[in-house]
Amino acid sequence: MKNLKLKYFLPVVITIVFVIFFSQLLKKDVTKLSSQLIEKPVPTFNMPTLLNDNQSFSTIDVIASDIALVNIWSSWCIPCRSEHEILMLLSKIEGIDLYGINYKDKEDNALDFINKLGNPFKKIGVDNNGRSSMVWGVYGVPETFIIHKGTVIYKHIGPIHMNELEEIILPILGDIL
Amino acid sequence: MNLGNVGNILMLVCLLASLIQSTQLLPKKIDIDYKIFSRLPFYSSLLAFILLIYIFVDSNFNYQLVVNNSHSEKPLIYKIAGAWGNHEGSLLLWILVLTIFNFIFSYSKIEHADFKKNVIAFQSLMIFGFTLFLLLTSNPFTPTETIVSEGLGLNPVLQDLLLAIHPPILYVGYVGYSLVLSFAIGGMITNKVDKEWAQWIHPWVLTAWIFLTLGIGLGSFWAYYELGWGGYWFWDPVENASLMPWLAGTALFHCVIILEKKNILQSWTILLSILTFSLSLIGTFLVRSGILNSVHTFASDPARGLFILIFLAIILIISFTLYAFKGPLLDNKSEMNLVSKESSILANNWLLLSTLFVVFLGTLYPLGTDLFLQKSTSVGPNYYILSLLPIIVLLLFFMIIGPNAKWQSDKISSIILSTNKLFILSLAIIFGFSIYFDELHLTQITLLTLCLTLILVSIKDGLRVNHNYTIIKPSLGKSLAHIGFGLLILSVVANATFAQEKIFQAKVSDILILDDQKFRFDSVEQNKGKNYNSIIATFHLMDNKTILETFKPEIRVYSNPPTVTSETSIIRKFLTDIYVVMNIPENSDFVNVRIHIKPLISFIWLSIILMVIGGMSAIVFRIKLKK
Repeated sequence: MKNLKLKYFLPVVITIVFVIFFSQLLKKDVTKLSSQLIEKPVPTFNMPTLLNDNQSFSTIDVIASDIALVNIWSSWCIPCRSEHEILMLLSKIEGIDLYGINYKDKEDNALDFINKLGNPFKKIGVDNNGRSSMVWGVYGVPETFIIHKGTVIYKHIGPIHMNELEEIILPILGDIL
Repeated sequence: MNLGNVGNILMLVCLLASLIQSTQLLPKKIDIDYKIFSRLPFYSSLLAFILLIYIFVDSNFNYQLVVNNSHSEKPLIYKIAGAWGNHEGSLLLWILVLTIFNFIFSYSKIEHADFKKNVIAFQSLMIFGFTLFLLLTSNPFTPTETIVSEGLGLNPVLQDLLLAIHPPILYVGYVGYSLVLSFAIGGMITNKVDKEWAQWIHPWVLTAWIFLTLGIGLGSFWAYYELGWGGYWFWDPVENASLMPWLAGTALFHCVIILEKKNILQSWTILLSILTFSLSLIGTFLVRSGILNSVHTFASDPARGLFILIFLAIILIISFTLYAFKGPLLDNKSEMNLVSKESSILANNWLLLSTLFVVFLGTLYPLGTDLFLQKSTSVGPNYYILSLLPIIVLLLFFMIIGPNAKWQSDKISSIILSTNKLFILSLAIIFGFSIYFDELHLTQITLLTLCLTLILVSIKDGLRVNHNYTIIKPSLGKSLAHIGFGLLILSVVANATFAQEKIFQAKVSDILILDDQKFRFDSVEQNKGKNYNSIIATFHLMDNKTILETFKPEIRVYSNPPTVTSETSIIRKFLTDIYVVMNIPENSDFVNVRIHIKPLISFIWLSIILMVIGGMSAIVFRIKLKK
């Protein structure tokens, strides 16, 4: 055992530190990685709306709301269905405007979805080939952005679960409301 | 018998056979035939994988995985790809690749029987761990609880051929480094870390590197073309997770070369071997556990995260503890000269690891602040660009002088002599370019000059006349890979410097000027499509009076459902990609036109192809030389 050198133990010590760090992260499990858009102004976009033929849904709508929540959804997206009741809950909070972007969907299916499950949105933009949503950096559905006075402050990838609503979304909204 | 049970039995066979094989690591060995137990897991997991593909192709909705990820009307190719486009299936693929490496290695002609046995045994231990993981938390053959007649997986975003093939290629890269780790363990246990060990490990390190490079390149290519907003690298945590083992693996590969030639740096090479696979595992952990959420994440599940973490901890702690005891004994006492090929390779080693550190920090920092400060931070491209800039400059510098230095010791003057002409030539070209086109900043001039010098030096190096191979030398592979790297940095810098984007408000017959290119807005036409009316604008890219290119961005108004979409007109040329997008604001008599010019994107792909071909030709030459 004469040949033992302390510095050779460094890697194993570092490994243990990181394992502890990672295990703490696992416990938390609420960390969501932020998007490129965070702290940036709302991207420029313009799209037709689902329910009203003559209107459009654009950057201006989002900026006009003090607090806006933009949710990207689709009728074919199963997680969106489970998320929908959470959005219905959120829509009841005063001072927050919910907007939807219907992503790569068929109108009939989308209307069916809204008619069955309720409409939490103030306006629903339609993007049926996915191009208009690109400025949002949409990777998949559902995704939700929280916008405060025209600045994107949070991006949620995947459906918002009840525990995430309580642990992440509501605290963020609480801070700015 | 139902197919799911067959799959389960196959995976159990894989589990047991690898467990039996891994007992060879214990001091008291049971005498078993390594051939049977190292190959059985391969056959069984291969069959299980084929079975999984079969139930996907068959749209067998008795299985939860098929229900969640497939649909009977999906095109065949996506049904097949659906088999590994999810957590469970990809884990099975991961296991299959682990066993493939063990299988091929079991045929290798290494005569050191004890060493070989230990390598196979450690590899089997990892196969055992992952198979256990699969069976306990992520079984792809789980039947559905209710009767389901149709699948849910018809997401059009995910129906993309590149998206289907890039993960398997990336896996081969990641998992290839598992065998490298097994080599390190085997080498430490049998005290066999020397020139010969380096010769044995060399092709494996290279193979894993080739696949990882290709996998990362394809991922980036997909992001550029499919996501369509002109970016090819987003410093997304999952992209970083694949970049980190690449950086460590590149450093490792260069160390293996030094070890092979000079028989030095034993413990350092071992450390890098362990580190490279650790980073592959950490990447897997971050992606699979749901700690990072991004495009690439599969449905997350804390139980899975915990399992990978425990497994990762066991593998790493075993490896690094062994290293702590064995490391000091491995090194040869030998002096290294400050000016020599090995010292410049070593310098690059440190630079690659510094890059790795920057990326590692950038990836984990937001997680750390979130955990300790309860505060979300995001680390953007600026952090990476600013921190990596000086490192890249030095890296390029050592890549230029390294290959021209001699082993053992060299004189600074002779290295300078061999490269100075090409350096001056490059500097002149870049300066001329800077004066003629655009004023470049000092950093841009420095980077571009170094890249160009590297490319020229490597071309000269690779094509030097050699008696045996006419004009091609065995170092052709190295030269190609280095040219590729130089070209990569060159095109990335040039793209960042010369990319242009501008929004115009235009009327017909206006001339829009961007970056000295004139776009003439010629006409607006109405058109009737199958189920839409469209407005098509015509723009011509002009050179005085001649028309060079025609752009026809389009706005489509669909009647049912009432939708407006805007179609980008993109022209991809060898040197530049040009995007023209149009938008018509309500109640206005002009249109909004956005023009992007993105130079040298195709060079980025070319550079990756060069690196991959370089790696492959290095392997081919090696095999040829052995014979």
